[in-house]
Amino acid sequence: MIVYVSAGLLALLTLSIPVGIVLFLLGLGVDSFFSPFPLIRGLGNLVWSSSNSATLIAIPFFVLLGEILVRSGVATRTYSALDKWVSWLPGGLIHANIATATMFSATSGSSVATSATVATVAMPQAERLGYDPKLFSGAIAAGGTLGIMIPPSINLIVYGFLTQSSIPQLFLAGLVPGIGLALLFVLVTALICMARPNLGGERRTFPLSKMLGALTDLLPIIVLFTVIIGTIYNGWATPTEAAAVGVAGALAIAAAFGGVSFKMLMESLTGTIKVTSMIMLVVIGASFLNFTLASAGLGTELRNFLEGLGMTPLMTILVVVLIYIVLGFFIETLSLMVVTIPIIVPLVEAQGYDTIWFGILMIVLIEMALITPPVGLNLYVVQGARKSGNMGEVMLGAVPYVLVMLAMAAALIAFPQIALFLPSVL
Amino acid sequence: MPQSLLQSLRKLNVWVAVLVGIMLLVCAGFILLDILLRQLGSSFGGTDEISGYAMAIATSWGMAFTMLELGHVRIDLMRSRMATRGRALLDLMSMLVLTATITLIAVQCWPVVAGSLKNASTANTPLETPLALVQIPWFAGWAWFAAMAWLTFVAAVVLVLRGQFEETESAIGAFAEQDALL
Repeated sequence: MIVYVSAGLLALLTLSIPVGIVLFLLGLGVDSFFSPFPLIRGLGNLVWSSSNSATLIAIPFFVLLGEILVRSGVATRTYSALDKWVSWLPGGLIHANIATATMFSATSGSSVATSATVATVAMPQAERLGYDPKLFSGAIAAGGTLGIMIPPSINLIVYGFLTQSSIPQLFLAGLVPGIGLALLFVLVTALICMARPNLGGERRTFPLSKMLGALTDLLPIIVLFTVIIGTIYNGWATPTEAAAVGVAGALAIAAAFGGVSFKMLMESLTGTIKVTSMIMLVVIGASFLNFTLASAGLGTELRNFLEGLGMTPLMTILVVVLIYIVLGFFIETLSLMVVTIPIIVPLVEAQGYDTIWFGILMIVLIEMALITPPVGLNLYVVQGARKSGNMGEVMLGAVPYVLVMLAMAAALIAFPQIALFLPSVL
Repeated sequence: MPQSLLQSLRKLNVWVAVLVGIMLLVCAGFILLDILLRQLGSSFGGTDEISGYAMAIATSWGMAFTMLELGHVRIDLMRSRMATRGRALLDLMSMLVLTATITLIAVQCWPVVAGSLKNASTANTPLETPLALVQIPWFAGWAWFAAMAWLTFVAAVVLVLRGQFEETESAIGAFAEQDALL
């Protein structure tokens, strides 16, 4: 059954059938070949129960929040404000790229939207100020991936929903590795630019008055992030309620900066529906596949499979990491996550690992998939926005950050506490 | 002819998407009010339940819009290496598989509604929502998706038969992945 599902998955995906539909087809296949009783009768109920969810409605809310911030021009303000704060570091403006991407993705939860926005704003500056295009664009692509780790993350909501683990706990667990990655990106950039100053462009300092002035552009976003995360952790609000507060907050910020218009609202709403339905077709398909696999006895088969292989838990995790790295060359974030959860998570759980911890490890690996060629969504986005040079430059520039992510994955395996400490104390 | 059909389907579904979006906004507003009320020691009660229904309905009704905007994520590793004609045929095959699967889903969703109608089922909650009341619009969304998929498929078949492969691509092809956002 494991072989059937894995082979079928790859074959159907290669035929470029939509990912959500592939998951349904595999579920139907498991039903007809491996299940002693007809599971298709449960299909309707499953479609109902997996979309009738007060947890999942947080997804469109967080998407809408991001759409509003991006479409109202708040991102541009954030970028120039952060430039004033971080450009004194070796590497100058590159740190503004990373910081903007971190801050934005932290509030909006979308990696690609973040990269696209930052790239559009930043690229003209890079040419003007004489930066090395490789490192500069690589940093944008890498910074943008942080959105799926730093809470609120849509990917963590989907993971929590499909594996029935606590979403606030996942959010807490993602906080340290997410911010840690951002800081490591800054550190690595500074080190590279100290070793090779010609890559970094000009370091600039701004007078304190300008830095303080820039705070008016930064504070609203910081407050919004704190409110969303704070209310969840204090137990005042569920992730869904915090997301609703976030939407209201984003509208208020956009209005304060004069970015709200009828057209922008319409575009934000339709953009939200497009992304939400895309996510939901995949999520419902994965729920159905999960259900058929579990009913057809995947648990027993996995246990036998693992006993047959005689692998230690650590070896299993290393194999799983390898699988993600290889698949990550070709498949992207959400699809990669959702198609692997039904098989990989029970397997990892059977070896005695914590699902919250594994969720975070998986997110690091999936972030890496976003910037590893040949298919690396963020690489394309950044290349698309810069309109000159070739793709190879962006790929090369992303290499240092890929290495940082690998190091983070290794650290998470060696010291699970990096992820699990916060959820255990709060 | 097929192009004007596709165009009107798109226009129609943009409005559907806007309506669904407004429903979600209203739902968010409702949740906010509930949080405020809670601070004052009161509550609507059942906000969770209602947001769940809103999500189910938003999900099913948004699907067709996303399909027409080519938003349902596909892996185009092989597809991007093919010539225009091969790509059009692959897209057509993929569209047929999608249409058939969605039709099956819509058909399988009906018994859920029929059961709720027959037993006059209510939710096992303080609100005691009659389930048919929320399941009928939810089912209608899937039926709508299936109908839109069939119409799009037929339009695409006509385009392929006429040899208009470029037009087929813009009707049922895949955007480069970077446009899919996320």
